[in-house]
Formats: sequence, structure tokens, C-alpha cells
Amino acid sequence: MAKPALRHRAEAASLALPPLLIAAERVAAAVVQGTHGRRRTGQGETFWQFRQYEPGDPVTRIDWRETAKTQHVYVRETEWEAAQSVYLWRDGSGSMDYASDANLPTKRERADLLTLALAALLVRGGERVTLMGSGLAPAHGRAILDRLALQLERGVTASDLPAYEKLPRHGQVIWIGDLLAPLEATAALVLRYADAGLKGHLLQVLDPAEESLPFAGRVRFEGLEDENPLLISRVESIRTGYAERLRRHRDGLAALTRGVGWTFATHRTDHPPQQALLALYQILTEC
Amino acid sequence: MLSLGSIAFAAPWLLAGLAALPVLWWLLRVTPPAPKRVRFPALRLMLGLAPPEETPAKTPLWLIILRMVLAAAVILALAQPLLNPRTPIAAAGPVVLAVDDGWGAARHWDDMRAALDRLIDQARREGREIVLFGTADPPGGRTPTDLSLLRPADARAAAANLQPLPWPDDRAQALARFKRLGLSHAAEIVWLSDELDGGDAASFAAGLARHGPLTVMGASGNALPRLLALTDADDKDLTATVERADPSLPGTLTLRALGDDGRLMARRAVTIPAGQGSIVAHIPMPTELRNRVASIAIANEASAGAVLLLDERWKRRPVGIVARHDAAQPLLSGAYYLDKALSPFSEVRTGDVATVIKGGIAVLALPDSASLGDGDRQAIASWLDKGGTVVRFAGPRLAAQPDDTLLPVRLRSGDRTLGGALSWERPAKLAPFAADSPFAGLAIPDDVTVSRQVLAEPTVDLARKTWARLTDGTPLVTAEKRGKGWLVLVHTTADPEWSNLAISGLMVEMLRRVVAVSQGISGTSDKPLPPVETLDGFGRLHAAPATAATIPAGAVAKTVAGPRNPPGFYGTADARVALNLAPAVTHFAPLPALPTGIRREDFVRSTEVDFRPPLLAFALMLMLADFAIGLALRGLLPRIVGRAGAAAGAIAFGVVLLSTPTAQAAGDDAAAIAGASQFHLAYVRTGVADVDAESKAGLVGLARVLNERTAVEAAAPMGVDPESDDLVFFPLLYWPVVDGEPALSPQAIAHVQHYLNTGGIILFDTRDQEQPNDFSAAAAQARLKRLAAGLTIPPLMLLPSDHVLTRSFYLLENFPGRWSGGELWVEPTKDAVNDGVSSVIVGGNEWAGAWAADAHGVPFYAVVPGGEPQREMAYRFGVNLVMYALTGNYKSDQVHVPAILERLGQ
Repeated sequence: MAKPALRHRAEAASLALPPLLIAAERVAAAVVQGTHGRRRTGQGETFWQFRQYEPGDPVTRIDWRETAKTQHVYVRETEWEAAQSVYLWRDGSGSMDYASDANLPTKRERADLLTLALAALLVRGGERVTLMGSGLAPAHGRAILDRLALQLERGVTASDLPAYEKLPRHGQVIWIGDLLAPLEATAALVLRYADAGLKGHLLQVLDPAEESLPFAGRVRFEGLEDENPLLISRVESIRTGYAERLRRHRDGLAALTRGVGWTFATHRTDHPPQQALLALYQILTEC
Repeated sequence: MLSLGSIAFAAPWLLAGLAALPVLWWLLRVTPPAPKRVRFPALRLMLGLAPPEETPAKTPLWLIILRMVLAAAVILALAQPLLNPRTPIAAAGPVVLAVDDGWGAARHWDDMRAALDRLIDQARREGREIVLFGTADPPGGRTPTDLSLLRPADARAAAANLQPLPWPDDRAQALARFKRLGLSHAAEIVWLSDELDGGDAASFAAGLARHGPLTVMGASGNALPRLLALTDADDKDLTATVERADPSLPGTLTLRALGDDGRLMARRAVTIPAGQGSIVAHIPMPTELRNRVASIAIANEASAGAVLLLDERWKRRPVGIVARHDAAQPLLSGAYYLDKALSPFSEVRTGDVATVIKGGIAVLALPDSASLGDGDRQAIASWLDKGGTVVRFAGPRLAAQPDDTLLPVRLRSGDRTLGGALSWERPAKLAPFAADSPFAGLAIPDDVTVSRQVLAEPTVDLARKTWARLTDGTPLVTAEKRGKGWLVLVHTTADPEWSNLAISGLMVEMLRRVVAVSQGISGTSDKPLPPVETLDGFGRLHAAPATAATIPAGAVAKTVAGPRNPPGFYGTADARVALNLAPAVTHFAPLPALPTGIRREDFVRSTEVDFRPPLLAFALMLMLADFAIGLALRGLLPRIVGRAGAAAGAIAFGVVLLSTPTAQAAGDDAAAIAGASQFHLAYVRTGVADVDAESKAGLVGLARVLNERTAVEAAAPMGVDPESDDLVFFPLLYWPVVDGEPALSPQAIAHVQHYLNTGGIILFDTRDQEQPNDFSAAAAQARLKRLAAGLTIPPLMLLPSDHVLTRSFYLLENFPGRWSGGELWVEPTKDAVNDGVSSVIVGGNEWAGAWAADAHGVPFYAVVPGGEPQREMAYRFGVNLVMYALTGNYKSDQVHVPAILERLGQ
């Protein structure tokens, strides 16, 4: 009886995953992808260039046909097509559990979708992906997608920003969240990763109500992460001030990321996720 | 108590709370409303954002006004506002309340109770004790308990137990009871009266006034209670006497006659002119209905005096007189005199014995001229056994044949006549009736004489059976009880031949008594009568209470309704005697003029209206509204708009659904009209699309051919469904049999059977001629059998070569369709059944396929193997078939045979 029980549990657990996975794959299918070259010489299949023979190169690498055409001896070089490691992270804190309208997904749902869709795209493109903080090694293939989906369903973290991990150089980090942590904390983390040689991309997912503040009158705001409530007697009067603050926060993030060569993008939950995904994927594949 | 005009406040100090309203206003203005609560993640960005101007949020003005109104309503309600309050009681001491709870109080009982409650309320407010008593004796005739001072709560409970009693008041007793209390002085004495004077009203008022200021409360003048009394029981119509206390103004009322089960049987409007205290009202009704009436009541007046109970004495029983309608000299027959004598008080029916008895009568009168056959005698004997009464009259015929079993005594042959053998010198007169005779008490006129009579044999029991005698002791009327009925013989004739009794008033009275005997209640009853059902104070019949006593034997006439014997039915359930209230009401007049110093008040006009309950209800509604508004302002009301829209949509959808059947009904009519107005070829829809298309096209082609070549004018073919459509419009039905067709439902089978039974013709086309192997033939048979399972079709035979189908229009030998060579099966010809026309024709040649052509005559399907000549033959068969369906076996008669033979070249 143990086996069926385990299977049942496994199947019950896996039942939660397919909707997210299927949704993610559907979104990902809207984006065309393929393996991309590294535009450098290295291991690979695609022809890159002919280079003159230098003493010390293995003799087996000489391309005799090319050599026969001309006087010099040439070595054939191929493009480096190595899969890169991509480290994804999505904000699982309490502030993401918010949707201003019943028709809109919560920020966490949208972030989950984007993360998994991106992971699906990358896996299809041959990259190796993993989730930061999950303890999984970057891997190719379908299996990592399932595990990522499981982690995403489960994972509710307490912090707004990822913890610092020792990651190998030349990887990419992608952070998807509302990035409403204080700018200094974000900056410190970003600079640390940048010093470690990683490239990063930040995607801020916000609800349209967080941008436009569509409340009126006397409102008592309660935070989602156990902050003290705030009583505003007339919300209309603080709208402009709030918008100004949000803009400054975003500009700060943009400036920060530009300074270290990272990218920053914003996304609203009432816009289709394909937009953000496409933008992010293009950025990823260009570098 | 503070009074402002007609409004007074019972607790005026609470009105000081109104002074707090401005303070409430200020508070509500100053307090900001509860804020909306919103969960928001980006709180950190809002910290420290100070709004430019800090005007505090205000509650909207209309909400403040709502709350003020709410508070004011609550304060006003608590101050107990009263409209038209009673003047407060001046002196100190208890309040005495005397309530008239006799039968007269039932009419305005609700008003009286309401006034009583208000008086008790007022006493409670002013903290007085109450003395409460009723003026009618309690049930059972026991002495009422002594009075005592009651607290208002106890008085209220005692008042709740008061009910009107169905007998008159006894105010003298009530006054004595009050005097026994020994109250020295009362603050106020209120007498709630029923405005009727029972003879003791003035002394009662005077006696009460000695103890304190007296107020008499009553209903407004013209609405005094009315009384129904009995009238003479033997009138033709139902009658009742309506009495009223105050005859000054004309009055109208409606009398209702109610049956045993309380059903209304008749209604009569009665107008009493001014100045008359009573009037006799007639309610005409047919006899059968009249006998079922159990009570007469005045409509809309619920009191014991307004109900008149009827018992057996008021049931009319018809009397049947046996006479021939075509008698030679009707005026000389006894039946005429009997009719005249009986018709004032009974319904009379004439005829022969059987019809009269069957019509249901109580008494059968047989004058001498009635000749009785054996069957008649038997009928009369059995009717007698069942309880009927027969009154036979003597005469020449009876004198000639005295041995008649239908006689109560044995008769001597011969009759005694003036101047005869047993003679007398002068015509004899009647002796006074004995006390135990049903005729006891009737006055005998001097000029009633009997000149001739039949004599009875003297036997031991002759004296017992005699009901009337002549002066010399010979019996004139004898009677014997047979079974449950009476057989009465009057020893003289019913016509004036033998005596002039027939034309005297005594005959009428004697016949009345005899009719009364037939009802079984003659004389005085000798059994005690226990109460069966009694009226309550409101005139409703209930099972008798334990306090009602039995009427002793022989005392029915003397008993009047009272506390011991309430009005109602006494006796047993079968033999009931009605005791009515009217004889107990001796003095029926309105209240006399009362001594000065006594105040008169009206129940209704002294209405105090307490505004507290409506004000509190209003305040509650406002509070609920305020609560809902508060929720809405804070955004906590759930979304219910969508549901309302869905509900409205569902209702609209339901309305649309309901309206469709009428449209469908109109469509059925249109289809029926279309089917009946022209001749349509019809095919049965099988549900397979191409088969149906082929059938339709085939019939279109056939119709075209018919229209061209024959006098038949076939309109467009119609597809029918035997389950739902009406087949009656189509003389011919083409039925293609396909694989997989489900068996017919019972309803379809019923329709088809009815169609075949009423002369319809069905052509079953099994369409399988192209598969000539046995397997498919058997399959086709099986299909046909399954399809026609449930239909009663006689066994079919192969079409004989001289069948009408071969020559009904064209002369044919075979009947090809798309295929040829198939056989045709028809019912065996039996001229008696359906005029020899076969209702069912079965074949397999797929005729619709051969007939199928478009509007220009271009055929759809190929015809195998004959090609176009075969198609022509198929068309000819179709024409023959339609002619057969429309004309039957017209062509089967022999007249045409020579011509046909000649054409066939034989």
C-alpha cells in the first residue's frame, strides 16, 4: 500500500503544478527562441573563422582544404555555444499577495508565471536555469522545470530581496518582484553581485492600483507585511506626492542598474505577461 | 400628563431629552466618520506624505439629519404620545367596571373589549385598583363568586377571559353582587353596556350611581343587536321573524339560511320600515333544499340572538297523492280535495305510485279512486317499512273489496250508510279527539258530518288503533304502525260524497297532524333531552359544554334559554330539538333615559391612539438604514448588483418560455388548416435525411404528374411525424422503412391505428428490392414487423391480378419503382370492412426514388433496369394508388368490366 500512497501523494502534488506550468509554457510559446551563439571562438558546431596556424596548435585542427587554396596554413575555429547558467529569483514576501481587482492576478501569481515562463524559454533555448535559494544546481531539461514549479508553489520567503549567494562568474541573475525594498538595500546587493562578475536583470511587477492610487476620502491603509497602519484623511491630496515618490524609486533603480550594466524593466499586472517576457528574453539573448 | 391640543404625552419629563439633540448634532458634525480600510503593499512609499491642507473629513449632512431624526423619534416614542387621551380620573379610589356580557354584547364585542382594555390601561397609569364584573349569570346557573379589588394586571387577565354569553343579562343580580362588595366610594364607575334594556337598566344605573360618578359607554345608536324569532312552522317558505330594539329608523339586513354543514343555502335581503319593531321574512326555497336548512342567521351579526336554529319541525315533507292525470272528471275526484287541503302547508305531488314514491315523499295519500296493482302494493309496502306514512281514504271501491292487506284494521263488508241496513237516522258528528290521538286539541266545527263510512271489525286492539271517532264510538280514522311507517285509514271519502269533512277546515288540520306524525315528533316527547350542540355568545355552534344541563322529559315547551340551558340542539344527534334564544328575551328595547349626572360615552369615539409602537417601529427602520449606510460608506457592502441582474434575466427568460407555447398552438392551428384545405400527399419522416429528402422529392414528382394527368389537385407534400402530428388530413401516407428506425411509441401506435381504423391508407416501402437475397428480405420483414408491432393489421396477401389497384386509373400489371419485380402485399378484400379498401399496402420497389424529380421534371435517381419506361410505369402506379386512396373500390364494380375486358383485348 505504500507505493500507491506515495504515487497518490505525488500525483496530488503534481496536480498543482500543471496549471502553472501549462500557463507558463503557453506564454513562452508566444516567444520564438533558439540556441544562440556566443560570438566568440570556442567549442561549438557553427563555423566562426579561419585563423592562421600558430606553433603550438594541434596539427589535427588544420583545415587542409582552406590551406590548399592559399599559401598559408589555416586552422578552423568554431563559435562558442555554451549554455549559460541563469539564476532566477522571485519575490515571495507578503507584499506580493495583492491584487486590487478580482479580475487581476495577484502580483505573486504574475511573478510566478513570468519566472516559470522564462525558465521554460531558457530551457528550450538550451540554457541551464535554477532558482536562487532553492539549493538546486543549474540544469537543462524538463526536470528542472518541474522542480522549479514545485519550489515556486511552495516558496514563501520573508524578505524582499534575495540573500547573497556565491555564484560562479559569467552567470546571469534575474530578479522578479515588486522591488519596493529601500533603495540602499537593493543597491548594496546589486553592487555585490556585480562585483562578483554576474550580469543581472531586474523586473518590477506592480499592481495598477499601486501606480495610480485610485482611492478617495478617508482611508486607513494597512500593510501586508505587518507594518503599522497609516491613516490618511484625504487620499486624493497625496496622490501626486505618492506618484512622485514611486517615480523617484524607479529612477533610482534604473540608475543603479545602468551603472553596473544591468537592466531594469517594469510590468503591470493588467498588461499581458508576454510583453515583459519578450523584452526580458531579448535582453537575455543579446548579451 | 402634558397635552398639546389633541395629542398628550403620558411621560412628559422624557421630552427633556429633546434638549440634548443640538448637542448630538454638534457631536455628529465634529466626529469624523469611520475610515475605509484598505490593504496596500506599497505603504512605505506613503510614509511621511503630509497632505497639504488638513481639513478633517466630515460626515455628510444628510446622514447627520437621519441620525437626528432617529434620536428624536426614540425620545418622542419613550414619552408615550397619545392622540385623544381620556381625561384623567379626578377623585381617589378604585375604578369600577361593569361589563354587559349577555347576548347583546356580542355585536360590538371587539369595541367593548378595546374600550375595556383602555380603561384598564388608564387605571394602571394612574395607579388605581379595579373592580371588574359582568352582568350576565355565569354558565350552569351557579352563583357567581364574590367581587374583590383587583390589581390592573389581574384585571387585564380577567378581562381577557370575558366572553359574551348567549343568554340575556341579569343586571339585578349583578347589582346585588356589587352591593355585597360593600365599596363605599369609587373614583369612577364605568358601565360598558350593550344598549339593551332588559327591564332593569334604570335601576341598575341608579344603583351604580350611588357609589360614584357613573359613565355609561355604548355603541353608537343605530347599531343595536337584532333578534331572530320563530314563526309558524308550516308555511310554505322558510320564515323567520326579525325583531329589533329601536324601531325609529328603517333597517336593512340580510338573512342567510345555512345547511347542516354550515354551507350557505339561501340568502334574502330584508328591509324593516321605520316604525316597525319586527317583520316576518320569507325565504323561498325548493323543498329538498329547505329540508337541509339547519339554521337561519342574520349576516354580519355574530350574536346568539341572530341565529335561529331549526329542527325537524321545520322540515317540509312533500305529500304524494296518487291520482291519474287524465281522470275523466278531475273536480269530482278525491285527489282534488286532498290537493286543496294539503297545499297550504305542504308540497303536493301527483302521479302514479311508483313515480310519486320515487320522487321522495313523506306521506302518500291514496284516495279511493286510486287503483293499486300488485307492483304498486309491493312498492307501498316496502316504502311503509322504511318509514313512510300512507293515508288511505275509503270509498265505494274499498267498500266493495274490503279484504285488502293495505289496511290498518279489518273491515266489515258493506258500509254504513244513511238509510242502509246498518243505518242511522241523522248524519253522525265527530266526537272530540282523545288526548293521546295525534289530533288532540283540534277544534271540531259543528257542521262536520259523516253520512257514510266503512266499518271496522271490532277487535281487541281496535281502540288502540283509533285516532278519531264518531259520536257513537265508531272509529273514523284508524292507524297502525307498520315497520317504521304508519298506515292510516280514514273511513270516509276524500271527496264530499260521503261526508263534508273533505270541504271543512278540520280536514286541513287533520291532514297537517298526519303529516306531522310522519315526521315522528308528534305530541310531547317523553324522554329527557341532553344537550348535543350549543351556541356560544357569538352564535357559533359548538359541542355542548359541561355546564349545559339536560332538559327534563316533557319540559321542552316550557324551557327557555338561560345559563342552565344555553340555546342549541337538545336530544340525540338524530332527533334534535332546537332551543332558541328569542323566547328568553322578554324585554327587547333600547336603554331608557338615564338619570341626570350620568355621562354617556361611545366606545369608538373615545379612541386613544398610542403612538408609541409606530414611532418605535419607525426608529428601528431608521436604525437599520443607518447601519446599512454606514457599511456602504466604509465599502463593506458585498457586491449584489450582478445577482439582481441575473435574477431579472431569469424572470425575463421565464416569461419568454411561457409565451412560446401559445405561439406553438397557433402554429398547430395553421398546420391543421393547411392540411385540411387541400389534398396533400404525405410521407412519414424517418429521421434519415436523405431518405426524407427522397420521399419528399418523390411525392413532389408524383404530385406534378397527378396535376397534369388527372383531376386530382395535389398540393405540396407534407412530412408528418406519427407521434405528434395529426394524420387525419391525409388520405394516403407514404412510409419508407429504413434500418435502425426505432419502434413506434405507444402514442404513435395509437395515432396510426386510429388512422388506419378511420380509413387511412399507408404504403409501406421497404426499399430492399435491390437486394434480392433472402437474408435481406427476412431482414426487411423483421424491420417491418418491428415497426408495425402494436398495430393490428390483418395478415396480408399478395396482390391478386384483378385487384382494384391494377385498374383504378391505368391498367397495370406490375408496379415497378426504382427497382422492379417486387411483390405488393395488400389486405384481403372483405367488402364489409372499410368498404373493401386495403388500409395497408406493402412493397419493396422504392417508389419515391422513381417518382423523385425536380420542378422541371428532371429525375433524380436512375431507374433499374427498365430506365425511363419503367419510371413511367412507376408514375402510373402512383396515380393508381392515389386514385385508389381517393375513390376506394370504385373501379371494382362489374359495370366497367366489359369495357376493361375490351381494352385488354380479351
